Amino acid sequence: MAAGVTEAPRAIGHRLPLWGLMALAWLVPGLGHLLLARRLRAAVFAAVIVVGFVTGILLEGELIMPRAGDPLSYLAAIANLGSGVLFFAARAARLGEGVVTAISYEYGNTFLLTAGMMNLLLVLDTHDIAVGKKD
Amino acid sequence: MDHLFLMLLHAFLISVFFAFLWKRERQARWRYFWKVFLALGLGAIALGWLMYPFPRS
Repeated sequence: MAAGVTEAPRAIGHRLPLWGLMALAWLVPGLGHLLLARRLRAAVFAAVIVVGFVTGILLEGELIMPRAGDPLSYLAAIANLGSGVLFFAARAARLGEGVVTAISYEYGNTFLLTAGMMNLLLVLDTHDIAVGKKD
Repeated sequence: MDHLFLMLLHAFLISVFFAFLWKRERQARWRYFWKVFLALGLGAIALGWLMYPFPRS
């Protein structure tokens, strides 16, 4: 490095092991980007996922768990688990049990599933940023 | 809540998400946001109209 030129401090996320960073990105929506000093993106992603998840819960959607004999429920469970801490908090508070007879049930499911899948995409995005594939 | 509103809210969230995920510049994000939002919103309405002659029996 040339004399007098100081290297920019590395974001906290770069000092964490990659698996740890990805786990945190999964657990808290937007945290991966925040730790990599992408503050605006972190805020927007967190807001989008939280709004989607909360809307899904308010619409009587279901946090689907695997059901024997229903292969699609396994995929839905993976998508729902993608919401990270939101999923566990909602389960702990006995929310997201779903009201099949509610007119908004399928809408709620759609919001819950997309919130989880978007967060899973963020985990992959965090990985790409951390390894330098993406800005 | 109104079904159309819920559909537009869903389209809005997805459009914002992908605009920030895939685009870096402010202008590009706006362009991409509107493209995806309109495609989802108008596409769903168009699909609804196309399905209109085929009611569930």
